[in-house]
Amino acid sequence: MIVANILHRPMRTFVSVVAVAIQVTLVLLVVGITTWMRVDSAKRQEGIGADIMFRPPNAQLLWLTGAPMSVKFKEVLERVEGVKVAAPVLIQTTTSGGLSQIFGIDLPSYSALSGGFNYLRGGPFEEALDVLVDDLHARNNKLRVGDQIDVLNHKFRVCGIVEHGKGARVFVPLATLQDLMGAVDKTSVFYIKAKDPNETDAVVQRIKAIPELRDYSVISIKEYLSQITNATIPALNTFIDVMIFIACLIGFLVIYLSMYTTITERTREIGILKSLGASKLFIVDAILREALLLTILGILLGLGFTFLAKRVITTTLPTLSVLITTAWVVRASLLAVLAGVLGGFYPSLRAASQDPIAALSYE
Amino acid sequence: MKIILETKAVTKVYRAGKVDVLALRGIDLRAHQGEFVAIMGPSGCGKSTLLHILGGLTTPTSGEVWIDGVNVSALSDAARTRVRRDKIGFVFQRFNLLPTMTAQGNLEIARHIHGNGSGAMQLQSSQEVLRVLGLEHKLRSKPLEMSGGEQQRVALARAVINRPSILLADEPTGNLDSENSQLVLKMLQELNTKFTQTIILITHNPEVAAVAHRLVEMRDGRIVDRAQDVSYTAVEESFL
Repeated sequence: MIVANILHRPMRTFVSVVAVAIQVTLVLLVVGITTWMRVDSAKRQEGIGADIMFRPPNAQLLWLTGAPMSVKFKEVLERVEGVKVAAPVLIQTTTSGGLSQIFGIDLPSYSALSGGFNYLRGGPFEEALDVLVDDLHARNNKLRVGDQIDVLNHKFRVCGIVEHGKGARVFVPLATLQDLMGAVDKTSVFYIKAKDPNETDAVVQRIKAIPELRDYSVISIKEYLSQITNATIPALNTFIDVMIFIACLIGFLVIYLSMYTTITERTREIGILKSLGASKLFIVDAILREALLLTILGILLGLGFTFLAKRVITTTLPTLSVLITTAWVVRASLLAVLAGVLGGFYPSLRAASQDPIAALSYE
Repeated sequence: MKIILETKAVTKVYRAGKVDVLALRGIDLRAHQGEFVAIMGPSGCGKSTLLHILGGLTTPTSGEVWIDGVNVSALSDAARTRVRRDKIGFVFQRFNLLPTMTAQGNLEIARHIHGNGSGAMQLQSSQEVLRVLGLEHKLRSKPLEMSGGEQQRVALARAVINRPSILLADEPTGNLDSENSQLVLKMLQELNTKFTQTIILITHNPEVAAVAHRLVEMRDGRIVDRAQDVSYTAVEESFL
């Protein structure tokens, strides 16, 4: 009966299934993209090769920007026992071509953190207005060595294309970025390499013990990475929750409307079932099963949409991806089932409580 | 024969806007097991209301309805539904088949509601009933693909597939031509004879009423005449 009913109105079935699919896709894409961005950010931080971050007081967890610290701290930090190198990095956030960060780096000290960039094309900075881009950024923007690109309203020459995973996707000389930002001798953060990574915690304590650096934030990269979760990124969880709520609302409302119109249209059939002795529970069960079947079809279609969307995103935007986890596939499916069952619940109760005689005489 | 159905001083008052309409005014009716009773009367005399009350689709305003020893008018909605499911089959003038389902599907849903049989056994049983009714070739046809006569025969099969004690037929030939009407009436008689099924048939057609053992005439919500047909005695005796 349930299959016969959903086949009876193919367009309504199609719309309901697509709405649930949109719900599932929306949930998985929102969570998948934000999670991927967080994981990717953490991986790139790890790829820098530093053991410790030295940051200004009250620094944000992810989006370090501005130039609040003097580069002269480099000498202070490198005098600390156990510190191999302290690399100042000036970070500028840009919205050009999407939200991203530009690292102003002192190439020798930055390279000393991890052994240097892996140049896929070209080589290091030669001029003040040279820029290094990673391979994903280059592919995304179809860049080649020697191309001119706009960085902070200035023309830069792409001098090299490096393997991704070393902090930012775009790097310019530290002095150039300081000039452009009007922040001479300033930096956003110091990445510190310990002589012995096993002594990182001890080095952190030694830096914290320096009176003039007392107010600054010193944190090991290991601890920093452990702090990068959705919960610690401001408003991210709220954003995800709101998007999930909206997605579920779409699924709920469409299933509700679909089942409501269904039971109105099938008033007479409900009367027939009652005349055959169908209990209220039987009718509630039949309507909910129908809602559930629509939801399951929607979930399957939604999973298909999600993987298709992921493919389109990764193909067209190499710097972006979607992290689809089994846990979230299960959660998104359960949310869709919940929304679908809730959407079908009131119509099913309404159908079950119909007067059989009135239902039988319904035209 | 035991009394399978009995009403005692049943009244039914409908509220139509601000006016109370007295549809039934103290109906006392008895039907024995295996009896075929026709209830005749003009439109609006309350015969359909009486049939709905007998089938537990609604409750009387006052009075009692006893089905197979149970006072259904005192039961909860759920309990009345169970009695309807287990004891009663309905046949309507408008056939009332589920339009999205095939003939076989309509029978199977009745069995499913009744909780009677499942799977291959259920399928075999449905096919058997349709074969007896000469509808084997219509197994996979939906109501709109069948003639009125065929639809009513499927409706009849659905009403009796779970072997209810009582069959309530509301103008079952009202939408049929004379040939199909005769066919349906013949089937009702056969069901009554072979399975000692009590049949309460509502009609305003004297020719249809003539097939019953007993005729009850209604007017203005009352029973005005009870004609005892001698043929029932013969039928009754044949059961013994």
